[in-house]
Amino acid sequence: MATKILSVDDSRTIRMIVGRTFKPYDCQIVEAGNGEEGLAAAAREKPDLIILDVTMPVMDGVTMLTKLKEDPELKTIPVIMLTAESGRENVLQIAKLGVRDYLVKPFKEEQLIEKAGRIVPLTKKPVA
Amino acid sequence: MNDGASYLELSRRYGFAPKPESASRLTQLVSRQDADLDEIAKVIDKDPSLRARLLRVANPEAENEAEYAIETVEDALMRNGVGCVLVLAMSTPLAAALVKTFQTMLSLQIETIDPRTAPALAGEHLRCNIDFSGKVVGHVLLRLGAAAGRLIAAGILGTTPEEMTDMNEVRDVAGELLNIMTGNFKSNLCDAGLECKLSPPDVRSTTDFTPPVVRAGSVEHLAFSSGKIQIYVEVTANPWSDD
Repeated sequence: MATKILSVDDSRTIRMIVGRTFKPYDCQIVEAGNGEEGLAAAAREKPDLIILDVTMPVMDGVTMLTKLKEDPELKTIPVIMLTAESGRENVLQIAKLGVRDYLVKPFKEEQLIEKAGRIVPLTKKPVA
Repeated sequence: MNDGASYLELSRRYGFAPKPESASRLTQLVSRQDADLDEIAKVIDKDPSLRARLLRVANPEAENEAEYAIETVEDALMRNGVGCVLVLAMSTPLAAALVKTFQTMLSLQIETIDPRTAPALAGEHLRCNIDFSGKVVGHVLLRLGAAAGRLIAAGILGTTPEEMTDMNEVRDVAGELLNIMTGNFKSNLCDAGLECKLSPPDVRSTTDFTPPVVRAGSVEHLAFSSGKIQIYVEVTANPWSDD
Protein backbone atom coordinates (compact mmCIF):
# COMPACT_ATOMS: atom_id res chain seq x y z
CA MET A 1 0.00 0.00 0.00
CA ALA A 2 1.27 3.46 -0.92
CA THR A 3 2.69 5.65 1.85
CA LYS A 4 0.33 8.58 2.34
CA ILE A 5 2.03 11.95 2.87
CA LEU A 6 0.18 15.18 3.70
CA SER A 7 1.96 18.35 2.55
CA VAL A 8 0.69 21.47 4.34
CA ASP A 9 2.11 24.70 2.90
CA ASP A 10 0.52 27.89 1.60
CA SER A 11 3.05 27.97 -1.21
CA ARG A 12 1.98 26.03 -4.27
CA THR A 13 5.64 26.01 -5.27
CA ILE A 14 6.65 24.07 -2.16
CA ARG A 15 3.73 21.65 -2.52
CA MET A 16 4.80 21.04 -6.14
CA ILE A 17 8.41 20.43 -5.04
CA VAL A 18 7.23 17.99 -2.33
CA GLY A 19 5.06 16.19 -4.89
CA ARG A 20 7.97 15.97 -7.35
CA THR A 21 10.34 14.76 -4.60
CA PHE A 22 8.21 11.72 -3.78
CA LYS A 23 7.13 10.99 -7.37
CA PRO A 24 9.67 8.16 -7.89
CA TYR A 25 8.35 6.44 -4.74
CA ASP A 26 5.17 4.54 -4.03
CA CYS A 27 3.54 7.49 -2.26
CA GLN A 28 0.20 9.22 -2.33
CA ILE A 29 0.52 12.97 -1.77
CA VAL A 30 -2.36 14.91 -0.22
CA GLU A 31 -2.13 18.72 -0.17
CA ALA A 32 -3.45 21.46 2.10
CA GLY A 33 -2.86 25.23 1.86
CA ASN A 34 -3.05 26.15 5.56
CA GLY A 35 -3.30 24.64 9.04
CA GLU A 36 -7.09 24.53 9.08
CA GLU A 37 -7.22 22.61 5.81
CA GLY A 38 -4.31 20.52 7.06
CA LEU A 39 -6.16 19.42 10.20
CA ALA A 40 -9.24 18.51 8.18
CA ALA A 41 -7.10 16.56 5.70
CA ALA A 42 -5.26 14.78 8.54
CA ALA A 43 -8.59 13.69 10.12
CA ARG A 44 -10.02 12.59 6.77
CA GLU A 45 -6.97 10.94 5.21
CA LYS A 46 -5.05 9.65 8.26
CA PRO A 47 -1.68 10.16 6.55
CA ASP A 48 1.45 8.23 7.48
CA LEU A 49 3.47 11.46 7.58
CA ILE A 50 2.76 15.20 7.64
CA ILE A 51 5.18 17.75 6.15
CA LEU A 52 4.25 21.07 7.73
CA ASP A 53 5.15 24.73 7.08
CA VAL A 54 5.09 27.30 9.91
CA THR A 55 4.00 30.67 8.49
CA MET A 56 0.65 30.29 6.74
CA PRO A 57 -2.54 32.34 6.55
CA VAL A 58 -5.77 31.27 8.34
CA MET A 59 -3.99 28.86 10.71
CA ASP A 60 -0.22 28.65 11.08
CA GLY A 61 1.81 25.47 11.44
CA VAL A 62 2.46 25.83 15.18
CA THR A 63 -1.29 26.10 15.88
CA MET A 64 -2.01 23.12 13.65
CA LEU A 65 0.69 21.08 15.38
CA THR A 66 -0.72 22.02 18.80
CA LYS A 67 -4.23 20.92 17.79
CA LEU A 68 -2.91 17.76 16.16
CA LYS A 69 -1.13 16.76 19.38
CA GLU A 70 -4.32 17.42 21.40
CA ASP A 71 -6.34 15.04 19.22
CA PRO A 72 -6.09 11.40 20.43
CA GLU A 73 -6.86 10.16 16.90
CA LEU A 74 -4.15 12.22 15.22
CA LYS A 75 -1.42 12.82 17.77
CA THR A 76 0.69 9.83 16.74
CA ILE A 77 1.04 10.93 13.11
CA PRO A 78 4.70 11.87 12.67
CA VAL A 79 5.42 15.43 11.56
CA ILE A 80 8.40 16.93 9.75
CA MET A 81 8.49 20.74 9.92
CA LEU A 82 9.55 22.33 6.62
CA THR A 83 10.14 26.02 7.25
CA ALA A 84 12.47 28.95 6.65
CA GLU A 85 12.32 29.80 10.34
CA SER A 86 15.19 28.27 12.28
CA GLY A 87 15.37 30.77 15.12
CA ARG A 88 15.93 29.65 18.70
CA GLU A 89 12.42 30.40 20.02
CA ASN A 90 10.66 28.74 17.11
CA VAL A 91 12.76 25.57 17.19
CA LEU A 92 12.45 25.15 20.96
CA GLN A 93 8.68 25.73 20.91
CA ILE A 94 8.13 23.28 18.04
CA ALA A 95 10.43 20.62 19.56
CA LYS A 96 8.48 20.90 22.80
CA LEU A 97 5.20 20.25 20.97
CA GLY A 98 6.74 17.16 19.42
CA VAL A 99 8.01 16.75 15.87
CA ARG A 100 10.02 13.91 14.39
CA ASP A 101 12.28 16.16 12.35
CA TYR A 102 12.87 19.71 11.18
CA LEU A 103 14.05 20.77 7.70
CA VAL A 104 15.03 24.35 7.04
CA LYS A 105 14.25 26.00 3.69
CA PRO A 106 16.01 26.22 1.29
CA PHE A 107 16.39 22.47 1.09
CA LYS A 108 17.53 19.81 -1.34
CA GLU A 109 15.03 17.14 -2.34
CA GLU A 110 17.49 14.44 -1.19
CA GLN A 111 17.38 15.88 2.34
CA LEU A 112 13.59 15.54 2.45
CA ILE A 113 13.77 11.96 1.14
CA GLU A 114 16.42 11.08 3.73
CA LYS A 115 14.40 12.51 6.61
CA ALA A 116 11.09 11.02 5.45
CA GLY A 117 12.75 7.65 4.79
CA ARG A 118 13.79 7.42 8.43
CA ILE A 119 10.14 7.66 9.48
CA VAL A 120 8.03 5.92 6.82
CA PRO A 121 8.76 3.21 4.24
CA LEU A 122 9.72 4.67 0.86
CA THR A 123 9.64 2.08 -1.89
CA LYS A 124 10.81 3.05 -5.37
CA LYS A 125 8.23 2.54 -8.09
CA PRO A 126 9.26 0.05 -10.75
CA VAL A 127 10.64 1.78 -13.86
CA ALA A 128 8.08 1.50 -16.67
CA MET B 1 8.53 15.52 22.40
CA ASN B 2 11.50 17.68 23.35
CA ASP B 3 13.64 15.92 25.92
CA GLY B 4 14.91 19.22 27.29
CA ALA B 5 17.48 19.58 24.52
CA SER B 6 19.04 22.99 23.99
CA TYR B 7 18.81 24.97 20.74
CA LEU B 8 22.34 23.92 19.77
CA GLU B 9 21.57 20.24 20.45
CA LEU B 10 18.36 20.49 18.42
CA SER B 11 20.16 22.20 15.52
CA ARG B 12 22.67 19.29 15.47
CA ARG B 13 19.88 16.69 15.75
CA TYR B 14 17.87 18.24 12.91
CA GLY B 15 20.97 19.02 10.83
CA PHE B 16 20.80 22.77 10.32
CA ALA B 17 23.26 25.54 11.09
CA PRO B 18 22.36 27.46 14.25
CA LYS B 19 22.14 31.25 14.04
CA PRO B 20 25.61 32.78 14.41
CA GLU B 21 26.23 34.26 17.85
CA SER B 22 27.76 37.49 16.47
CA ALA B 23 24.64 38.42 14.48
CA SER B 24 22.41 37.55 17.45
CA ARG B 25 24.64 39.57 19.80
CA LEU B 26 24.47 42.71 17.69
CA THR B 27 20.75 42.39 17.09
CA GLN B 28 20.16 41.91 20.83
CA LEU B 29 22.24 44.97 21.67
CA VAL B 30 20.49 47.13 19.08
CA SER B 31 17.04 45.91 20.04
CA ARG B 32 17.32 47.45 23.51
CA GLN B 33 15.89 50.94 23.83
CA ASP B 34 18.73 51.80 26.25
CA ALA B 35 21.31 50.42 23.82
CA ASP B 36 24.92 51.14 24.81
CA LEU B 37 26.52 52.86 21.80
CA ASP B 38 30.08 52.06 22.93
CA GLU B 39 29.27 48.36 23.18
CA ILE B 40 27.59 48.40 19.75
CA ALA B 41 30.55 50.26 18.25
CA LYS B 42 32.95 47.61 19.63
CA VAL B 43 30.96 44.78 17.99
CA ILE B 44 30.80 46.64 14.66
CA ASP B 45 34.52 47.45 14.74
CA LYS B 46 35.24 43.70 14.84
CA ASP B 47 33.21 43.12 11.63
CA PRO B 48 35.03 44.81 8.69
CA SER B 49 32.15 44.29 6.25
CA LEU B 50 29.54 45.78 8.59
CA ARG B 51 31.88 48.63 9.51
CA ALA B 52 32.42 49.49 5.83
CA ARG B 53 28.69 49.41 5.10
CA LEU B 54 27.85 51.60 8.09
CA LEU B 55 30.43 54.19 7.05
CA ARG B 56 29.18 54.12 3.47
CA VAL B 57 25.62 54.79 4.67
CA ALA B 58 26.87 57.59 6.94
CA ASN B 59 28.56 59.29 3.97
CA PRO B 60 25.88 59.21 1.29
CA GLU B 61 27.43 61.96 -0.83
CA ALA B 62 30.96 60.51 -0.91
CA GLU B 63 32.17 58.82 -4.10
CA ASN B 64 34.87 56.89 -2.24
CA GLU B 65 36.38 56.42 1.23
CA ALA B 66 38.82 59.31 0.74
CA GLU B 67 35.84 61.67 0.67
CA TYR B 68 34.29 60.38 3.90
CA ALA B 69 33.50 63.20 6.33
CA ILE B 70 32.43 60.65 8.96
CA GLU B 71 35.29 58.26 9.56
CA THR B 72 34.58 56.44 12.82
CA VAL B 73 31.90 53.94 13.79
CA GLU B 74 30.97 56.07 16.82
CA ASP B 75 30.33 59.15 14.63
CA ALA B 76 28.40 57.05 12.11
CA LEU B 77 26.20 55.69 14.93
CA MET B 78 25.54 59.22 16.18
CA ARG B 79 24.57 60.36 12.68
CA ASN B 80 22.46 57.38 11.59
CA GLY B 81 21.16 55.98 14.86
CA VAL B 82 21.11 52.39 16.02
CA GLY B 83 18.04 51.58 13.91
CA CYS B 84 20.34 51.82 10.91
CA VAL B 85 22.63 49.21 12.48
CA LEU B 86 19.68 46.89 12.95
CA VAL B 87 18.87 47.04 9.23
CA LEU B 88 22.52 46.58 8.27
CA ALA B 89 22.98 43.69 10.72
CA MET B 90 19.77 42.01 9.59
CA SER B 91 20.44 42.45 5.88
CA THR B 92 23.59 40.32 6.14
CA PRO B 93 21.71 37.08 6.93
CA LEU B 94 19.01 38.16 4.48
CA ALA B 95 21.57 38.37 1.65
CA ALA B 96 23.15 35.09 2.78
CA ALA B 97 19.71 33.42 2.68
CA LEU B 98 19.16 34.54 -0.93
CA VAL B 99 22.61 33.30 -2.00
CA LYS B 100 22.03 29.96 -0.21
CA THR B 101 18.58 29.57 -1.79
CA PHE B 102 20.07 29.97 -5.26
CA GLN B 103 22.87 27.51 -4.48
CA THR B 104 20.58 24.92 -2.90
CA MET B 105 17.48 25.02 -5.07
CA LEU B 106 18.90 26.21 -8.39
CA SER B 107 22.58 25.19 -8.22
CA LEU B 108 23.33 28.78 -9.27
CA GLN B 109 25.94 31.12 -7.87
CA ILE B 110 24.50 34.58 -7.29
CA GLU B 111 26.70 37.42 -6.14
CA THR B 112 26.00 40.57 -4.23
CA ILE B 113 26.75 43.68 -6.31
CA ASP B 114 26.89 47.35 -5.42
CA PRO B 115 23.29 48.61 -5.65
CA ARG B 116 24.56 52.07 -6.65
CA THR B 117 26.23 50.77 -9.79
CA ALA B 118 23.81 47.92 -10.58
CA PRO B 119 22.01 48.24 -13.94
CA ALA B 120 18.58 49.80 -13.50
CA LEU B 121 15.53 47.55 -13.75
CA ALA B 122 13.18 48.79 -16.48
CA GLY B 123 9.68 48.00 -17.74
CA GLU B 124 7.47 45.19 -16.50
CA HIS B 125 8.86 43.36 -13.52
CA LEU B 126 7.80 41.36 -10.47
CA ARG B 127 7.38 43.28 -7.23
CA CYS B 128 7.28 41.01 -4.16
CA ASN B 129 6.70 42.47 -0.73
CA ILE B 130 6.47 41.08 2.79
CA ASP B 131 5.61 43.37 5.70
CA PHE B 132 6.58 42.57 9.26
CA SER B 133 4.86 44.02 12.27
CA GLY B 134 5.17 43.78 16.04
CA LYS B 135 7.99 45.15 18.15
CA VAL B 136 9.66 46.09 14.89
CA VAL B 137 7.84 47.17 11.74
CA GLY B 138 9.10 47.30 8.20
CA HIS B 139 9.17 45.45 4.94
CA VAL B 140 11.34 43.43 2.62
CA LEU B 141 10.74 44.31 -1.02
CA LEU B 142 12.19 42.23 -3.83
CA ARG B 143 12.11 43.23 -7.50
CA LEU B 144 13.21 41.23 -10.51
CA GLY B 145 12.54 41.29 -14.25
CA ALA B 146 9.74 39.13 -15.64
CA ALA B 147 12.23 37.13 -17.75
CA ALA B 148 14.45 36.55 -14.71
CA GLY B 149 11.35 35.45 -12.78
CA ARG B 150 10.57 32.87 -15.48
CA LEU B 151 14.17 31.60 -15.40
CA ILE B 152 14.09 31.16 -11.63
CA ALA B 153 10.64 29.56 -11.62
CA ALA B 154 11.68 27.14 -14.37
CA GLY B 155 14.80 26.17 -12.42
CA ILE B 156 12.93 25.57 -9.19
CA LEU B 157 10.00 23.74 -10.78
CA GLY B 158 12.23 21.67 -13.06
CA THR B 159 10.98 22.93 -16.41
CA THR B 160 12.14 25.37 -19.12
CA PRO B 161 11.56 29.16 -19.17
CA GLU B 162 9.58 28.74 -22.42
CA GLU B 163 7.16 26.41 -20.61
CA MET B 164 6.64 28.94 -17.80
CA THR B 165 3.69 30.62 -19.49
CA ASP B 166 1.52 30.78 -16.36
CA MET B 167 2.57 33.99 -14.58
CA ASN B 168 0.68 32.84 -11.46
CA GLU B 169 3.25 30.06 -11.09
CA VAL B 170 6.11 32.51 -11.65
CA ARG B 171 4.66 34.86 -9.02
CA ASP B 172 4.21 31.99 -6.55
CA VAL B 173 7.86 30.97 -6.93
CA ALA B 174 9.01 34.59 -6.49
CA GLY B 175 6.84 34.88 -3.38
CA GLU B 176 8.30 31.69 -1.92
CA LEU B 177 11.83 32.92 -2.66
CA LEU B 178 11.09 36.03 -0.62
CA ASN B 179 9.39 33.92 2.06
CA ILE B 180 12.52 31.83 2.53
CA MET B 181 14.71 34.93 2.80
CA THR B 182 12.38 36.69 5.17
CA GLY B 183 11.71 33.70 7.42
CA ASN B 184 15.39 33.75 8.26
CA PHE B 185 15.21 37.51 8.86
CA LYS B 186 12.22 37.12 11.17
CA SER B 187 13.91 34.40 13.23
CA ASN B 188 16.83 36.73 13.97
CA LEU B 189 14.50 39.54 15.03
CA CYS B 190 12.42 37.30 17.29
CA ASP B 191 15.51 35.76 18.91
CA ALA B 192 16.72 39.29 19.71
CA GLY B 193 13.46 40.01 21.54
CA LEU B 194 11.86 41.90 18.65
CA GLU B 195 8.88 39.59 18.23
CA CYS B 196 7.11 40.22 14.95
CA LYS B 197 4.80 38.57 12.46
CA LEU B 198 5.15 38.39 8.71
CA SER B 199 2.44 39.15 6.18
CA PRO B 200 1.90 36.70 3.33
CA PRO B 201 3.96 37.71 0.29
CA ASP B 202 2.25 40.23 -1.99
CA VAL B 203 3.51 39.54 -5.51
CA ARG B 204 2.41 41.46 -8.57
CA SER B 205 3.54 42.21 -12.10
CA THR B 206 4.00 45.94 -12.47
CA THR B 207 5.78 48.77 -14.26
CA ASP B 208 5.50 50.97 -11.17
CA PHE B 209 8.80 51.66 -9.45
CA THR B 210 7.34 53.80 -6.65
CA PRO B 211 8.84 52.51 -3.39
CA PRO B 212 6.51 51.71 -0.49
CA VAL B 213 5.96 54.45 2.06
CA VAL B 214 8.49 54.26 4.90
CA ARG B 215 7.03 55.93 7.97
CA ALA B 216 10.23 55.92 9.97
CA GLY B 217 13.37 53.89 10.47
CA SER B 218 16.20 52.97 8.17
CA VAL B 219 16.45 51.63 4.65
CA GLU B 220 19.05 49.30 3.13
CA HIS B 221 19.34 48.47 -0.56
CA LEU B 222 20.89 45.25 -1.81
CA ALA B 223 21.49 44.01 -5.34
CA PHE B 224 22.41 40.57 -6.67
CA SER B 225 23.47 39.28 -10.05
CA SER B 226 23.85 35.90 -11.74
CA GLY B 227 24.05 35.90 -15.54
CA LYS B 228 20.72 37.12 -16.86
CA ILE B 229 19.24 37.40 -13.37
CA GLN B 230 19.36 40.67 -11.45
CA ILE B 231 17.56 40.96 -8.12
CA TYR B 232 17.01 44.14 -6.13
CA VAL B 233 16.05 44.07 -2.46
CA GLU B 234 15.00 46.90 -0.19
CA VAL B 235 14.82 46.36 3.58
CA THR B 236 13.34 48.80 6.06
CA ALA B 237 13.05 48.38 9.81
CA ASN B 238 11.78 50.62 12.53
CA PRO B 239 12.44 49.12 15.97
CA TRP B 240 10.57 50.12 19.11
CA SER B 241 7.45 50.84 17.09
CA ASP B 242 4.26 51.57 18.99
CA ASP B 243 2.27 49.47 16.48
